[in-house]
Amino acid sequence: MGLRKFSLRAFLKKNLDFIAGVSSEIGLCIGIIIIALAISFFLVFIKSLA
Amino acid sequence: MMKFAVVFMLVLLLAPGLATAETSKELIENARAFDGGQVTLQGEVIGVMMRGNNAWVNVYEGGYAIGVWVRAEDARNISFIGDYSHAGDNVLVTGTFNMADPEHGGDLDIRAENFTITAQGAAILRTPNVIVVAISMILVALAIVSLVWLWRIHKGEEKIAPWPVYWR
Amino acid sequence: MIPSLRREDLRIIGFNLSKILFIVSIVMLIPIIVAVIYGEFEIIPHFLIGSSISVILGSITHHYWETDKEMELKHALCFAALTWIVSMLVTAIPLWTTGSTNSYLDANFDTMSGFTTSGLTLVPDIDHLSYSINFYRHFLQFFGGIGIIVISLTVLSRSELSSVLTFKGEARDIGIKPNIVRTARVILGIAIAFMVIGSVLFTAAGIIEGANLRTAIFDGVNYSMAAYSTGGFAPHSQNMLFYHSTLYEVIALIIFLIGSFNFSFHYSILSGRRREIFKNIEIKTFFTILLLSTLVISGLLLFSGVYSTPDVLFRKAFFQAASAQTTTGFGTLYPVQISTIWPSTVVFMMAMLMMIGASANSTAGGIKAIRIGVMVKSFVREIKKALSPRSATVETTYHHVEDTPLTETVAKGAMLIAFSYVLLFIVGTTITMLHGYGMSDSMFETASAVGNTGLSSGITSPAMPDTLKVTYIFLMWAGRLEIMAVLVLIGFTILGIRRGFRK
Repeated sequence: MGLRKFSLRAFLKKNLDFIAGVSSEIGLCIGIIIIALAISFFLVFIKSLA
Repeated sequence: MMKFAVVFMLVLLLAPGLATAETSKELIENARAFDGGQVTLQGEVIGVMMRGNNAWVNVYEGGYAIGVWVRAEDARNISFIGDYSHAGDNVLVTGTFNMADPEHGGDLDIRAENFTITAQGAAILRTPNVIVVAISMILVALAIVSLVWLWRIHKGEEKIAPWPVYWR
Repeated sequence: MIPSLRREDLRIIGFNLSKILFIVSIVMLIPIIVAVIYGEFEIIPHFLIGSSISVILGSITHHYWETDKEMELKHALCFAALTWIVSMLVTAIPLWTTGSTNSYLDANFDTMSGFTTSGLTLVPDIDHLSYSINFYRHFLQFFGGIGIIVISLTVLSRSELSSVLTFKGEARDIGIKPNIVRTARVILGIAIAFMVIGSVLFTAAGIIEGANLRTAIFDGVNYSMAAYSTGGFAPHSQNMLFYHSTLYEVIALIIFLIGSFNFSFHYSILSGRRREIFKNIEIKTFFTILLLSTLVISGLLLFSGVYSTPDVLFRKAFFQAASAQTTTGFGTLYPVQISTIWPSTVVFMMAMLMMIGASANSTAGGIKAIRIGVMVKSFVREIKKALSPRSATVETTYHHVEDTPLTETVAKGAMLIAFSYVLLFIVGTTITMLHGYGMSDSMFETASAVGNTGLSSGITSPAMPDTLKVTYIFLMWAGRLEIMAVLVLIGFTILGIRRGFRK
C-alpha cells in the first residue's frame, strides 16, 4: 500500500489541496447560481420599468 | 382559438358543478385551462413533507403525482405513505389549482381547502415467486460451475491489478 | 483498399467483451445490499438471474474466444461500441423480470438511458418501484457516467496500448496520469468523492425540508448519483418537483454543474492548480453560453407572461437551462408543460443547449463546450487572417489545462464531431416526426436523446411506438460514444457481411 514511502507532510498537503479544490469548485457553481439569480432580478426590474 | 375558448368556458362552468374528481393527467396536460380554478383530486399519498404550519403532500393518481399544499394538522393524520411495500392513504382533495404557483417557486400545485382521508393505506406483503427462486438457484449453480471450470483451465493466467492507492 | 476481416478480429473483440460481462455481473449484485436493507427478499433472485446469465455468457466467450493478441484501433472501437450494447442487454434482465418495465425492450431503453446518463425512462410507475431496483437504475447511471470501460480498467490490468485505444473509443480521450490504469482510478476516485459529498448534502436538505429520515437518505444517495453523473433519473415520478424545495434544487445544481466538468479540470483543481478556473476555455465557453441563454430564455418566459417573479424564473428557467446544457435532465416541471406552456422559441433554444452540452471527458453529453470554444476561436482566426496582410502569420492558442496551439487538425476534428451530432439530430427528428409528432416536440426529444440529457417534451412514455424506442436507444448510444466508435462498428459489420471472415 505504499506506506513505507508515506510522508505526513505530503499527505496533508495533498488533502488540503483536495479540500480547497472541492471548495473552489462548489464556490464556482455558487457564483454562477448567484449570477443567474441576479439575471432573474434584473429582468423583472426591466419589466417593471416598461 | 375559438374552440379552445369554448372548451375553457365549459371547463370553468362545469368543473365546480361536477362532483367527479379530475385526473392528474387532465390537470397537468390542460394546466392553463384549470389555472386558478377549483379542482378535486382523489388519489394515493406518496410523499409527505412537513413545512411549519403547512405540509406538502404528493398525491398520485393515474401515473402522475401532484403536490398538494395542506395544513400541517391534516398531513399529521396520514398513516401510510405509498411506496413499494405500502399502499398509501387514499385522499380526496378540493382546492385551488395553480399552473405555476408564484408563492411556491412556480410549481404546479393544488392549495387544498378540503383534505379528507377516504381510506387508510396498508402494508403490502410480497412473497418470493417460487419459480423465479428455482430458476435463480439453477443459474447461480451454473454460473459457479462455469467460473470454477474457467478457473481450472486458465489458472494463473489472469493478473488482477493491485488495489488503488490515490495519494501517491 | 481495406483488408478483409479475419476470424481473429472477432476473437479479440469477443474475448475482451467477456471481461466486461464479468464486471457487469458484479454490478448486478451490488443492489442486493439495498434489497437486504429494505427487506425486499423477493427481488434478490432477479438480480441473481441477471448476474448469473452474465457470468455464464462471460465464461463461454472467455474460453472459446481466448486470445493473447493485442487490440488494434478497429478492435478497440468496435469493442467500446459493443461494450455498451452487451451491458445494456444483460443489465436489462432484472428490470424486465421484476416487471418494473412493461417489456424487455423497455428495460433495454432504461438501461441504455442509464448507462449513457440520459435519464429518459419508460418505467411506468417509479413511485411504487422497489427500493433495490430504483437504486439499481441510479447506480447504472453513476457507473455509465464514469464509463464502463474506465471502471473496468481500474480493476483489470491491461496493456497500455489497448487501454489507450479503448479509452478513446468510449470518448474518454484523457491523460491525467502517465499510466492509463492510474488515470482511470483517479477518475473513479474523483467521482466517488463528489458522489459522497452530494449524498450528504441531499440527505441534509431532505431532512431540513421535512422528509422522513428513511426517504431523505435513500433519495439523497440516488439524487446524488444521478446528479453527479448528469443522469437525470430520480427515485420519484415527479423528478425534482417531489421536494418542492429551492434548497434541494440548488444542491442539485451544484452537483450536476460539478459533474459536467472535465475530469482533467477536476484533477487540476483538486491538485492545487486553482487558477485553471479562470483560464480554462471549456469552463469559460460553457458558462458564457449558459448565462447568455438563461438571459434570453428567462426574458422570453417573463415577457410572454408565463412566469412573473425572480425566484420562479430562477427555479424554472435557469434550472431547466442548466439541466439541459449539463445534459442532466432533472426537471422542475412536468415534461408535457414544456410543450404546452413554454413558447416554441424557448423549446428550440433548450434543444440547442442539449445539443451543445457541457465538458468533454466529463459525465455530460452533447457536442461539448470545448469543441464549441475551439470552433469559435478558429472562426475568429479565419477572420483575423482575412484582415491581415498576406505576409502575416496568425497564430491562435487555447487554454485547457495547458496552453495548446489551435491547429487545423484540432479545428477539423471539432467540426467533424459537431457535424455528426447535427446529422444524428436531423435523422432522429425526421424519424420522430414520421411517427406523427410535432416538429418542436420532435426536435426537443431527439436533442435530449442525442445529447444524453433526459428532459422530455412528453413523447417518451411506455406507450410510444417500438420503432421510436429503438431509434432513441440508438441515438443515446451513438451520442454517448461520440459517434465514431458506432460508425466503425457499422463499417466492421458491413465489411464482414460483404467479404466474410477469413481464417
